[in-house]
Amino acid sequence: MYGTTAKILRVDLTNGKIETETLSEDFYRLYPGGKALAGHILLNELPPHTDPFAPENVLVFANGLLTGAPISTATRYIVSARSPLTGGYGESEAGGFWGPELKMAGWEAIVVKGKASKPVYLWINGDQVEIRSAEHLWGQMAAEVQEAIRSELGDAKIRVLQIGPAGENLVRYAGITNDLRHFNGRNGLGAVMGSKNLRAIAVRGTQRYQALAYDAQTLLGIGGKLAKSVKENPLSWDLQDRGTPGLVEPLNTGGILPTRNFRQGAFENMDEVKWEVYEKELLTARRTCYACAVRCKREVTVDGRESAYGGPEYETVGAFGPNCGVGDIHAIAKANELCNAYMLDSISCGVTIAFAMECFEHGLLTLEDTGGLDLRFGNAEAMLEMIGRIARREGLGDLLAEGSKRAAEKIGGEAPFFAMQVKGQELAMHEPRGKYNVGMGYAISEIGADHLVVAHDSAFARPDTIQLKSAAPLGIMSALPPRSLGEEKMEMFYILEKWGSLEKVVGYCFFGPAPRSFIPVEDVLLSINAATGWNLTMEQALQIGERATNMARIFNLREGFSRKDDTLPERLFQPLENGALQGQAMPRDEFEQSLTILYGKKGWHPQTGIPSPEKLRQLGLDWAIEMLPSGG
Amino acid sequence: MKLYTGGHLTFYMPGRKPTLELPLSEPAPLREILARVGIPLAEVALVALNGEQVEMDSAIIQDADVVRIFSSVDGG
Repeated sequence: MYGTTAKILRVDLTNGKIETETLSEDFYRLYPGGKALAGHILLNELPPHTDPFAPENVLVFANGLLTGAPISTATRYIVSARSPLTGGYGESEAGGFWGPELKMAGWEAIVVKGKASKPVYLWINGDQVEIRSAEHLWGQMAAEVQEAIRSELGDAKIRVLQIGPAGENLVRYAGITNDLRHFNGRNGLGAVMGSKNLRAIAVRGTQRYQALAYDAQTLLGIGGKLAKSVKENPLSWDLQDRGTPGLVEPLNTGGILPTRNFRQGAFENMDEVKWEVYEKELLTARRTCYACAVRCKREVTVDGRESAYGGPEYETVGAFGPNCGVGDIHAIAKANELCNAYMLDSISCGVTIAFAMECFEHGLLTLEDTGGLDLRFGNAEAMLEMIGRIARREGLGDLLAEGSKRAAEKIGGEAPFFAMQVKGQELAMHEPRGKYNVGMGYAISEIGADHLVVAHDSAFARPDTIQLKSAAPLGIMSALPPRSLGEEKMEMFYILEKWGSLEKVVGYCFFGPAPRSFIPVEDVLLSINAATGWNLTMEQALQIGERATNMARIFNLREGFSRKDDTLPERLFQPLENGALQGQAMPRDEFEQSLTILYGKKGWHPQTGIPSPEKLRQLGLDWAIEMLPSGG
Repeated sequence: MKLYTGGHLTFYMPGRKPTLELPLSEPAPLREILARVGIPLAEVALVALNGEQVEMDSAIIQDADVVRIFSSVDGG
């Protein structure tokens, strides 16, 4: 078998047992890493309705098929478990160096079960695996822990994946970081790690991916060609030049910059948080992930010194800037640093604080509730203070650590209307009232509101754009308006969702392949085939993505999710208050009709959204048919 | 006029710099100005003329105007 080490490391923290599982090629062809491998493991090994914080929850770290290959953006691994934030299928992906290092150490995935009696970390040095005490690390910020682990193991090149104090304290949107700068932010999987008393996983490996490949020469050729093309493709060049913080001004101009908890689409202080200000006030350097020529990561100063945690991405600028009404780029950078040191998801944290600000302004939370904090929109100081209180679960922070959905249910009154979440997970910084497929992605995503389900509508808004032309090999030929739904738009969604899911299986970043970015669709397929020798067709490759999505869907159905959960916060069906799209709302009836159309295209029951047995057989998921609820 | 580009439109600007000053002796359609600079019109998703969003096809630009144009952006 080529392209994979085929080995899974299995660790039971309750009894300290460490085992190796070797996958067969037949299995790996169906579930070649990432989302597909994790989905299979969770469905088969995690009993339904397991408490996410119980030792029985299964925590999976899964590399993509190509993770660690010498190809720009093929760096991603996913973490998966039952999510404490949504109660459903949990998943969060990240780039950086840890995933490739795990592959170099000889492992495709790690499956962690049980709970250690005291804090521990895993030390994986090639095929040598050790469970070590982390009692001296517990409670410390991420930078100190990384330094301590590298120091005590005597190797500065060790890659450290870890949670922070927020994960230890079971904040339901605690994340996981590697190298302090790359984040599995979403879905609260850091809290699952914390519940197992697992603070970190340190890895060192010495293999090279090329040694695994079926055709290493071709793979290296693709990687070399793509690396050279980064500066010659407008999409990747822009990612390198500005990175994601460049999104602020165009989104504001288009009226789709989430502002004041999604009430508005334009921010009057945008000039204080746009890219030129970020570049002038914060930027010190550009960095990257393993073998990636794009270099979209940013280094910044915070409080006049170089931050150990990298710079804020657009999502963080949006969540703690306009969405909290804060027009102060230095406060945003500080919020980013605090989230990354405590290891909180900056999206969920920012949106939950914005929710609390709106509750405060409506009198649902008082000064007594906030411990004296004047938690109104725009108060940067109160926002920064609240981040620490959430991570430490102090005062109101303890309630907000539960996420906006649970907090709203407890606060009562109008509060649920102010909770901008789907399936319990807070919305990312993309306004669905200007991009309807983004809204459909928020609604149907198995992990709750997620902005990386499909390439965004704006890429396909006009004929003859680079992005539309690059999608032709996927069968997407026609431009469609961003604010449209219906048959054609749902066909586009269906194709893009399979493609996006394939990326999460094989380990490509959202900022790698077309149509979002610079890697031609054909080269994605070529790279998979050069690595494996499988000679997959495009249809077979897309089916891998679709298989993974269906397993996640079945997981959620088994946990009791249904069509009513595939929806959007009520506010999005109401008009935007300002900006270029002032007065625009998501059309409710058309949205529901299009959801029905989309279910049908996916081979799911048009009304219930339950996959048909025929569909599962077609995907090779016969074994999962018995897991389906009745009503399909 | 002053032209500013965001998103991947800067890629097409002289020296790949996001700002450009273009003297205009008389008002001119924005499409013509952008074509002269070498910006592919298909890639222009949004135009702000003196801070207000306008349509590229109908915008007429005066010498004192500030024009900010953007490609489609997403993700991240």
